[in-house]
Amino acid sequence: MNQAEVYQQLNEIFKENLDLDEVNLTASTTADDIEGWDSLAHIGLIAAIEQQFGIRFVMKEIVGLHNVGEMVELILSKLNA
Amino acid sequence: MLFSSMTFVFMFLPIVCTLYLLVRKELKNFVLLAASILFYAWGEPRYVAIMLATIVINWLGGILISETKYKKTMLFLTVIGDLSFLFYFKYFNFFVENINALIGGHIDFIKVIMPIGISFYTFQAISYVVDVYREEVKAQKDIYKLALYISLFPQLVAGPIVKYHDVADQIENRTVDFDKVYYGVRRFIVGLAKKMLLANTMGAVADKIFTQPTEQLDVAISWLGAVCYTLQIYYDFSGYSDMAIGLGSIFGFKFLENFNYPFISKSISEYWRRWHISLGSWFRDYMFLPLSRAFSLSKTYGKAMHAIGRKRANILLTFIALFIVWFATGFWHGAAWTFIVWGLYNGFFIFVEILTGWNKDQKSIGGRIAQHLYTILVFVLSFVIFRSNTLSYAWDYLLTMFGIKQGGEVIYKMAYYVDRLEIIALIVGIFCATPVFAKMLSLNEKHKVLNILIDVWLLVLFVVSTSYIAASTYNPFIYFRF
Repeated sequence: MNQAEVYQQLNEIFKENLDLDEVNLTASTTADDIEGWDSLAHIGLIAAIEQQFGIRFVMKEIVGLHNVGEMVELILSKLNA
Repeated sequence: MLFSSMTFVFMFLPIVCTLYLLVRKELKNFVLLAASILFYAWGEPRYVAIMLATIVINWLGGILISETKYKKTMLFLTVIGDLSFLFYFKYFNFFVENINALIGGHIDFIKVIMPIGISFYTFQAISYVVDVYREEVKAQKDIYKLALYISLFPQLVAGPIVKYHDVADQIENRTVDFDKVYYGVRRFIVGLAKKMLLANTMGAVADKIFTQPTEQLDVAISWLGAVCYTLQIYYDFSGYSDMAIGLGSIFGFKFLENFNYPFISKSISEYWRRWHISLGSWFRDYMFLPLSRAFSLSKTYGKAMHAIGRKRANILLTFIALFIVWFATGFWHGAAWTFIVWGLYNGFFIFVEILTGWNKDQKSIGGRIAQHLYTILVFVLSFVIFRSNTLSYAWDYLLTMFGIKQGGEVIYKMAYYVDRLEIIALIVGIFCATPVFAKMLSLNEKHKVLNILIDVWLLVLFVVSTSYIAASTYNPFIYFRF
């Protein structure tokens, strides 16, 4: 899977989980930029991402991500591991 | 020792600053550590031992977590150790009193006195060992550096609760320069003025009203009391945080902000991202996220998802996690039922906001105004519960505010509670709780004349504030109790 595909799938996951009409994630997107992406939604998003990609995050990763770019890198590194 | 005391402002601080700036870089941490322990011992010499014990336990714990195979067990034992200190010194009386009330019996006990700041430094210690466990940071081998993190006097007794991962690098390596000291001094004076001029003035009004039996209050007076207390606690605590952040800056530290104009929030969810930010984020990082994560991975959750669907299972999960976290947040503030109810009250509104989508900004202007009014109402009422000594007093007070309960004839009228100066402080207090003033100043940040004017103004504030200190009796910060 390449970077563009990860972004595309993430957009879908965000749309569905946060009840948004349009999501356009970029590397620098943070929780402040997306309406409703608070700590509650975060856990749901993480669970949905894990299910979608068949990967598992640890707590350090869940609390330590700073933006979507880091999240995509992490997903790719887990997929290629 | 209080920041707002003559001893601190004119003796302790100048001496520590001078020493700190004079000594070599390698010795600066030792100067700060010695100053911090002296600062703590000033008021509570007996309790220094408990803080030192906490430091040793967590220093050992950190090393054991990172060096042994039994990471989880070691983390568990260290956190249990931290919490048992906290439970004994903060909650023992409460538990025995409630057991006595419940069984109608009488267990004799000697009241335990709570060491000041224990709620704050215990949470910092937990932040350290959890960060080590999560491998966000390396275990600190030098015990004096960990001691400095836990005891650092600017934020020792009432926060902000600094997380270890935010300052780990700064403890090892930081610079002191003129700009940081200048900023720090300005910030300290702003905080001092908030405390001495606004918080204490509002506090005098609130104290007069909240010490009356509710039969002596009418609708207008009870609202006045609630609003004054809301302003008092905001300026008291945000003033303290300003002083802490300012002092930190003088010594080269950069602490995260603790307040961000909470009263302009459009929901209680937003309010808690703006009020006492360091506590909210502590509970988020070290309690809410791990808890809800554990729930979402559990078998029970999987079963619930099959039975009632993903959406409802998520609502259930949110409810349970919010309940636990807000119970804990309330209880953290104090060993009393009023704080527990206050915590759950906040959690309740956050839960309702999530269910209804009311935590998202409304599109129409009318909708947004309604959101502001709702939020103001909810937090003003929350502080009535917070301020009351008993739940029944809080209940009667709330009923009085809405005119549902009216006692006998009200002897003291409005004029007894507020004078002209206090009304001015009230108006200034409301105005300065919005970012309008700060925004106006920041537009002309580089303006030289304006900056000189601000410095002159701060100097005036400093002189007036210290004259208030000289004239006033002992007046500790509200959050020293927690």
